[in-house]
Parts: sequence; C-alpha cells; structure tokens
Amino acid sequence: MNLNLLAILPEALLVLLAVAILILDPLFKADSRRVNLGWLAAGGLTLILLISFLAGQPAQNELTLGGMVRFDWFAFAFKMFFIFAAAITALLMMDVDALANRAEAYVLLLAATIGMNLMAASADLVMLYLAIETTSIPLYVLAGFLTDNDKSTEAGFKYLLFGAMTSAILLYGFSLLFGFAGTTNLAAMAVSLATPTVFSLGALLLVLVGFGFKTSIVPFHFWAPDVYEGASTPIAGFLSTASKAAGFAVLLRFSLTVFPQTGSQWQYTLAVISILTMTIGNLVALAQKNIKRMLAYSSIAHAGYALIGVVAASTLGTASAVFYMMAYILTNLAAFAIVTVAGRVIGSDDLRAYDGLSRRSPYLALAMLVAFLSLAGMPPFGGFVAKLLVFAAGVEKGWIGLVIAGIINSIIGVYYYLTTLKYVYLYRMEGEDEESYPIPVSRPYAIALTVLVAGVILLGTFFAPWYDLTVKAAASLF
Amino acid sequence: MIPVSYYLALSAILFTTGMFGVLIRRNALVVFMSIELMLNAANLSLVAFSRLYQTFHGQIFVFFIMAVAAAEVAVGLALIVTIFRSKQSIDLDQMNSLKG
Amino acid sequence: MTLELFLFFTLALIALVTAGGMVFSKSAVYAALNLVTNFLSVAILYLLLDAPFIALAQVTVYAGAIMVLFLFVIMLLGVETLRAEFDWKKIWLQAVLALALLVEGFVMLFQRMGQAANLPFNTASVLTNPSEMAKVLFTDYLLPFELTSILLLVAMIGAIVLTKQVKKRSL
Repeated sequence: MNLNLLAILPEALLVLLAVAILILDPLFKADSRRVNLGWLAAGGLTLILLISFLAGQPAQNELTLGGMVRFDWFAFAFKMFFIFAAAITALLMMDVDALANRAEAYVLLLAATIGMNLMAASADLVMLYLAIETTSIPLYVLAGFLTDNDKSTEAGFKYLLFGAMTSAILLYGFSLLFGFAGTTNLAAMAVSLATPTVFSLGALLLVLVGFGFKTSIVPFHFWAPDVYEGASTPIAGFLSTASKAAGFAVLLRFSLTVFPQTGSQWQYTLAVISILTMTIGNLVALAQKNIKRMLAYSSIAHAGYALIGVVAASTLGTASAVFYMMAYILTNLAAFAIVTVAGRVIGSDDLRAYDGLSRRSPYLALAMLVAFLSLAGMPPFGGFVAKLLVFAAGVEKGWIGLVIAGIINSIIGVYYYLTTLKYVYLYRMEGEDEESYPIPVSRPYAIALTVLVAGVILLGTFFAPWYDLTVKAAASLF
Repeated sequence: MIPVSYYLALSAILFTTGMFGVLIRRNALVVFMSIELMLNAANLSLVAFSRLYQTFHGQIFVFFIMAVAAAEVAVGLALIVTIFRSKQSIDLDQMNSLKG
Repeated sequence: MTLELFLFFTLALIALVTAGGMVFSKSAVYAALNLVTNFLSVAILYLLLDAPFIALAQVTVYAGAIMVLFLFVIMLLGVETLRAEFDWKKIWLQAVLALALLVEGFVMLFQRMGQAANLPFNTASVLTNPSEMAKVLFTDYLLPFELTSILLLVAMIGAIVLTKQVKKRSL
C-alpha cells in the first residue's frame, strides 16, 4: 500500500496545533487569554502554511494512503487556500470577545480546516463523505456559538437542519453510485458510469443537491443569507469563502473524475444553475439594506460566476474556477473583515450607517474600495482577472450565452458595490461630525487587512505565478 | 432468493418517508428524527449493494455513517436545547427572527 | 415462499409502518419509540444481508445511543405532551419529490436495475466475518478511521460548548 505521509502533512500539523491550543489554554491568564490564543492560532496556522508550502508539494499526482487520498496539485492548491483563510479568520476572531476567549472556537476552526483539506484531496466516497461532515459539524457549532444571542443559535440550527438534510440526500446519491459501480473509488467509478442511464443521472442529481448546498447555488441557497446574518461576522466570512471553495473543489473533482462522459446533460444543468445563481444573487442583492445580507447575496452570485468555469470542463475552465476561488477568498474575507471592524463601532449592519466612513477611517475605506471594486470585477484587482479567465474559458468551449449572462450580471453587480462606495466616500455622517467618531483598527485586523488587500492587488497585477499554480492544479485532474 | 431491488425499493420508500417528515413536521425534534430515518435508508441500500458485490466497502461506509450520525445528533440536540432555553419552544415556525 | 422471503416481507412491513408512524405521530415520545422499532427491524434486515457486525452496531449505536439521547432530550425539555403541528402548505413540493422517489423505487423493483439482481447466496461468505472486515478497515480505511476520532472529539467539544451555561461576571 502506498503510504506517502506527505500527503497528510498539513492535516497532521493542524491536529498538533489543535492539541497544543487545548493543552495551553488553561495556562493562559484570563485577561490575556484572548490575545494569546489568537496569536497562537494565527501564528501556528501561518507556520503550517509555510511548512506545507515548502515541504508538502506533490512530486507526481498519485493515489495514496489506501486509495483514500489523491496527492496532487489540485488538492495542494486548495489546501493552501483553506489554511490561509483559516489563519485570517483566526486573526479576525480575536476582536469578537465571545469567540476569542474560548479555545474551543479555534479548535473547531482547525477541525473544519482539516475537513476541508481532506475534502479537496479525497479520492474515495467514504473519505469524501467523512471529510464533508468533518467540515460541516464544527461549522454548525461555530455558526451557533454565541449562545446568548437568539439570532446566532437560530442561524446555527437552520444551518444544521439544512446541512443534515442535504447531506442525507447526498449520501443516498452516494449509495446509488456505489450500487452502480461496485466500488467507492472515484476514478474506478468513472469506468462503470461511462454510459449514463436514467438512474445514474438520478444519482447525479441527488449528489448535486449535496454539493449545491455547500456552494450555496440556486436553488440551495436559502440558508446562506440567514446564516451569514446570524452568525458572528468572522465565522460568516469563513463560511462564505473557505467552505464554499471546498464545495467547489469537490464539485470540480467529481465533475471531472466521475462524470466526464456525461457531457452535455450535466453541463447544461450546471449552465442553467449558473445563470439562475448569478441573476438571483445579483437581483436580490440590489434590494438589500443590510450590508451583511448584501454580501451574502453577492457571495451567492459569485458562486454563479465560478460555475461558468466548472461548466467549461477544460483545463482553462478548471484553472479559471480555481483562480476565481483564490481571488474570491481574498476579496470576500477582506469585505467581511471590514464589516466586522466597522460594525462593532457603528453598532449596526445597516448600509446607510456606513455614510462618511472615508472620513472616520481612511484606511478602512481604502480597503473597502479595493475589496468592493475587486468584487465588482474592476482592474487592476484580482476579481477582474478571475472574471476574465472564467469568461475566456466559457467562450473557448462555446458557451457564449452563458458568458453574455455573466457579463450582464457583472454590470448589474457593479451597481450595488458602487452604491456602497458612494455612501462611504461621498456621503457624510449625520451631524457631519466624523472626526469625533473615528474607527480604530486593532493590530490583528490591520495585519489581516493589509495582507488581504495586498493579495487582491497582487492577483490583479502580477498574477502569473498564481495562474501557473492554478494551471498545474487543473492539469492534475485530466 | 430475494432480488436486491426489493431492498432498494424499501430503502427508497423509507427515504421518501423521512423527507416527508422533514418538510411537513414543525417540531424540531421530529424533523431531526426524520433526517436519521433518511440516513438509515441510505445505510440499508449500501449494505444491500455490499452483499450484491460481495465486498466490504458498503458495510465499512455504513460503519462510518453511523459514527457521523451520532456526532451530528449530539451537536443538533445541543443546539435544540440551547434554543429551547431562550425561546421555551422548539416549534420551527417560531424560529424566524432572521427573515428579512 | 421461503423463510427468507417471509422474514423480509414481515420486517419490511414493520419498517414501513413504524416509519409512517413516526412521521405522523402526535407525540414526540411515540415518534421516538416508532423510530426505535424501525431501527431494530432494519437491524434484523442487516442480519439477512450478511452483515452481523453492522446489525449489532445498528442496535448499539442507533437504537441504543442515538435514540436514547433523543428520548433524554425529549424528557429534559418536557415536550412530550406538546400537540403535534403539521405544515400542510409545503405538501405540493413534497408530493413532487415523493412521487419522483417512489417512481424510482418501484421502477427499480420491477426493472431490477438491469443486472443480475438476485443476491448471491454464499454460505462461505466472507462478509459475515468481522475479522475480515477489520482487515479492510484498518488497512485501506485507516485515514477515515483516524478522521472519525477527530470528528467525535469535535462533536463532544461542540455539544459541551453549546450547552454550557456561562455565569455572567458582574462588572
């Protein structure tokens, strides 16, 4: 049996970090616990990121550890994204008292990251299901973590109910797939599923329900706005970026490994879902008065754009979807970070409460400018390159209608992002007294925002090395 | 001999009953129990296929699913208890402070 | 009718009746008890399917741990006497889904999924031997096994964190 332990190096290190946090927690004094835990978690995650990047690169794409895990560039790229997102979220959690004082919150974050890593690397149905649940269960707890806040417990429960139901549907689909193939190995299943029958398409639809929930595409998106609004903002940020990217990793791997021959039916279904997701996400975002819900619907729309890359099932398509996830993680985390910081001082998530933000904190407003313009798809930011690649992949494979829908939706999207920026830069606060209400940005947030903004700008300008990584990732699936 | 399709039909009907329960019932605990029924239905079809192909993969999958179901139930019931403490009710219709 | 067929139909009937009983029962406790019976009948079905280990795991974990947990919470919250509430507005959606799945179920029943569908009767079946299962479990499936331990730890931490009541410190 091939036992290449480098394949699970990041996960092993994450387990060690989680144990370290749990053991060291009682040793921290109560007043400095928040700071110590936060820096321990964030620093540990950054260290793990560096070590995994330097030592954990796959030499060749191989199936290892009893056929459970595929050690390839695709998994590697996504693992780096997830650990990065977790590190940033650990920094963002430090200012939310209810989260930061509990070591368990950080441990749950790490457990979810382990699950996501294995989701991206799974090569077997058993491993995949277990990884999906290992991701979801800590996130259910984290979403409902603020137990004295009604909205939070409700958000956690809604997330759990929806998640458990779709995971049961997903599991039924997996059982049918096992029935068709006689094996749980993803690559071996493709052989038996080469000639699609009505039943295998039925199983495929059931599986799509499960993946659709994780990536919150239409019509499985109903949980997202409520859960993002109710959960505490750093967790909402993590859910909307890393968890969604994990869903996309699984969707991509499944599409390209298990159902490559299903061809047109699968792709047409996904194309329709993509158009619906983009349109509904953007149109409902237009009507939102609450910035967290607006960001929630904007995340839904972005899943639609990334789906264009999945529909164009080519190397460019997959690479563009991976690149989109990278740009999206950076940008959305920045947006949620800004909302966390500003929200604590402003005290409300109302969009109009952000009037005059540029005078209260120029740096925060600048970060918001970068993040929102990138979400809108403007150069020279990462979001522009991501959209460009995704549309290019769509055009290359002949999905012209889909790309036109994407472009129209991007234009609609620009409206609500620019409206928010208008409030921030051109409007003034009530009483026009911004100087006496500055918004302080604490050190962890300053670091997080600097890294994220720099990343967004880097992805938009010097994107060649990042693009090479995504092409390597995509090539490893073909 | 019993054809495997009998087991599959039973599994499908149990699954549908479970989904019915999730959509129709308003009591959070019964909804949760219906989800367990759905998982159980999937387990049944996995074990039936495992016997058909004379392999262990299905049974081992079921083994892991049971562990996952136990973990999910633990967390889900904890959330229900927490919500009950603040709202004194587990009726799903009353959990709508997030709408809008 | 062979004994096996008779057993199957009896157990299937019990499973279906108790499943329906659970979904439509007026009391949460009756629902839980119906579900326990359902799990037990499915466990015996597993015995028919050459899976003794899974059958006993079903009894121990599902009927013995999960359902007991449900009953604990039902008693703890005191909801056993609550009137049942049904939301009939969603029935049209459910009707479509139910119809689709039932159709698939019965089509499977009569078309037998296009393959030799009779379950092989193998007296020397390796499936009934738990040590053979352990061999596969602890070699090929070692990583999922270890991941399950992390999952269970996380579930424990999560359940405690959610239900622990933090005393409010006075300022």
